[in-house]
Amino acid sequence: MFVALLAVAVGATILSGLVTIYYDIPRQMGQEFRSYGANFILTAANGAEGVSEDAFLSSTALIPSEKIVGIAPYRYETVKINEQPFMAAGVDLEGARKASPYWFVSGEWPDAAGSVLIGQEVADMIHLLPGSRFTMTGTGLDGESFSHDFNVSGIVQTGGAEEAFIFMSLNDFSGAIGERADYDVVECSISASEQELEAIGAVISENVADVTPRLVKRVTQSEGIVLTKLQALVFLVTAVVLALTMICVATTMMAVVTERRREIGLKKALGASDRGIVMEFLGEGLALGCLGGILGVFLGFGFAQLIGVNVFNRSISFQPLIVPFTLIASIVATGAACLIPVRSATDVDPAIVLRGE
Amino acid sequence: MFFRLVKGALFRQKGKMLMVAFTIALGASLATAMLNVMLDVGDKVNRELKTYGANINVIPKEASLLGELYDVDDDSGLTEHYLNESELGSLKTIFWAFNIVDFTPYLNARINVNSRSGGETGVNLVGAWFDKHMDLPTGESLDTGMRNMKNWWDVEGSWISDDDADSAMVGGILAERMGLGVGDTISVSIAGRLQDLNVRGIFNSGSDEDERVYVPLALAQSLIGKQGSVSSIEVSALTTPDNELSRRAAQNPNSLSVKEWETWYCTAYVSAICYQIDEVLTGSVAKPIRQVAESEGAILEKTQLLMLLITVLSLIGSALGISNLVTAGVMERSREIGLLKALGADNAPVSFLVLAEILITGVIGGVAGYFAGLGFAQIIGHSVFGSAIAIKPMVIPIVAILVFIVTVAGSLPSIRLMLSLRPAEVLHGR
Repeated sequence: MFVALLAVAVGATILSGLVTIYYDIPRQMGQEFRSYGANFILTAANGAEGVSEDAFLSSTALIPSEKIVGIAPYRYETVKINEQPFMAAGVDLEGARKASPYWFVSGEWPDAAGSVLIGQEVADMIHLLPGSRFTMTGTGLDGESFSHDFNVSGIVQTGGAEEAFIFMSLNDFSGAIGERADYDVVECSISASEQELEAIGAVISENVADVTPRLVKRVTQSEGIVLTKLQALVFLVTAVVLALTMICVATTMMAVVTERRREIGLKKALGASDRGIVMEFLGEGLALGCLGGILGVFLGFGFAQLIGVNVFNRSISFQPLIVPFTLIASIVATGAACLIPVRSATDVDPAIVLRGE
Repeated sequence: MFFRLVKGALFRQKGKMLMVAFTIALGASLATAMLNVMLDVGDKVNRELKTYGANINVIPKEASLLGELYDVDDDSGLTEHYLNESELGSLKTIFWAFNIVDFTPYLNARINVNSRSGGETGVNLVGAWFDKHMDLPTGESLDTGMRNMKNWWDVEGSWISDDDADSAMVGGILAERMGLGVGDTISVSIAGRLQDLNVRGIFNSGSDEDERVYVPLALAQSLIGKQGSVSSIEVSALTTPDNELSRRAAQNPNSLSVKEWETWYCTAYVSAICYQIDEVLTGSVAKPIRQVAESEGAILEKTQLLMLLITVLSLIGSALGISNLVTAGVMERSREIGLLKALGADNAPVSFLVLAEILITGVIGGVAGYFAGLGFAQIIGHSVFGSAIAIKPMVIPIVAILVFIVTVAGSLPSIRLMLSLRPAEVLHGR
């Protein structure tokens, strides 16, 4: 009996573990896909100068906070270093770091006022290294020319357009170039599917004037495609593993019941009805399935948690629906597996069974 | 005598042994399918991730990205340095040629579009390959271009083909601004030359591409008089996730020792592929697009780890399933073994007898299971990725060892138990 219980428990563990993972994959992998950076941007609506502070705050308030990975508002101005033109970007550096995790920074992210990140292109052109100082000049927003010294804290490599920018905190930007009340673009990295993002975009454009939300198609659509494939993969794997383990459980149960043919024969010889015997074995099977199922639910969740922590460094959310599902599946599998050998045993003449043939 | 006993046991208990063999086959097929899928999943997911587009950008050595960023020096020619179109085929001759999935050359130019109201608007024109068929010097042929690489583009109308002499695709934002629809004709001028273009498609990509006009490369070359030149190449390559070695190499390949350099060069790191592209295209710099390259690595690693853990789980599951049944199967033979012992058989031959039976069953089940597992793996490959899963020979020894250990481990405890029984008691039926 212990053998059968073990088999059922293992089957149920695999079942509940894999189904939990299957359901949690979009959430877990979705987080990984955020390393592609912003998938949602806010720009000024037609006619407006930029995204105003108010519009920025009210738009971001409309994004469910638990789905936000990073939000980085940008302001751009042209500045000069050694009389060569460059583009300076004022940005919430903490937000940019979260929204664009693929930035490869040699050196450090700036943490003090007066420190900036510069792109690889800029560094190559004016021969700067992390730690070196440079003077930035230009015409400020108030029309006066300015000159400020900055410290290079790190060099950004992305392989894309960012390599030609100078990134500084919004405070440094206002300090050097001048106060501005609006942003040119707001990059958001949101852990959500394309449909959810479209819904968020619709809500924002309805409630906030002067803002045009746009989806970064390359990121959202490709994420959709790859996630669907991954989920399909785990689904098929789960289905195959499940079918095979259920058959394994069934064969083990059959072996266990077949072993008790003599007992069935004896009961029949003593006058038990076929129905009674079938019910008795069925009851035993169901109890076994139930017990194994309960064990499996706990072990399976533990296993899914193990995968979540090891693979994704995040805990798995518990799906209450999996409990009845696992129980029913294991009970049905054990019940069905009991019935077949019991039926064939009750069909046989007790005398023959008892003689051991 | 030994063989007769084994043969007898196998055939007399046909049903029983079939069931054991069946379970072993199931377990073995599960192990085979999962191992094959796991070993191939990296390659498959990598191909899926190509939907994110190019991960390497090749530009002429002297050109800088600055032109892309400002509209400051638009008219002074975006980049005066060009790459040679005729060398493109050699991208498929580098060490990791097989890993280069797609590539597209671009030629950028600034043109004026005469709108219906009579005014002129300056826009960026890009010449590109759309669905180019190439015959390579190696004898292979290749179809590559934007259609494959920009599959997230939402195209209204149709894609243009490389032979079209007067067709263009216009970005959604630009088309809206100029009031263009599919089928309209725009007239463009560059350096005094006029050309009418037929708008065959309007696309929406959700990036700054939406403000450009795309035409076939040959047309762009003849428009600006730069035959055989391209300004940049986007390459989509299958790569291995970066590690410490490849990061060091990316900084400076000369800092590596000879052995490290060989390892790096012969691994499909994105930096190694870039280095090899630099070697075959004169005057070029290949740069990894980190947004794509880094993320690919992260997602690939997670997927492989996930599949590894699921595989381990299913291996444990199938091992327990098999050993359970083997134990049950051996225990049932206690009467027969009691009889053998009563007739004077020693412990050793009896154990051998049982082991031989179970191993023969295991071999039959294992072989059947291996092939069934290959079938399962192909079903998964075809329905999820639309391509066959590569069959790895290294799975065979793993499955063989697994089945061997599991069947022997499953039968040993029950054999020991039976040997300790006294024949008289067993035969009596207690």
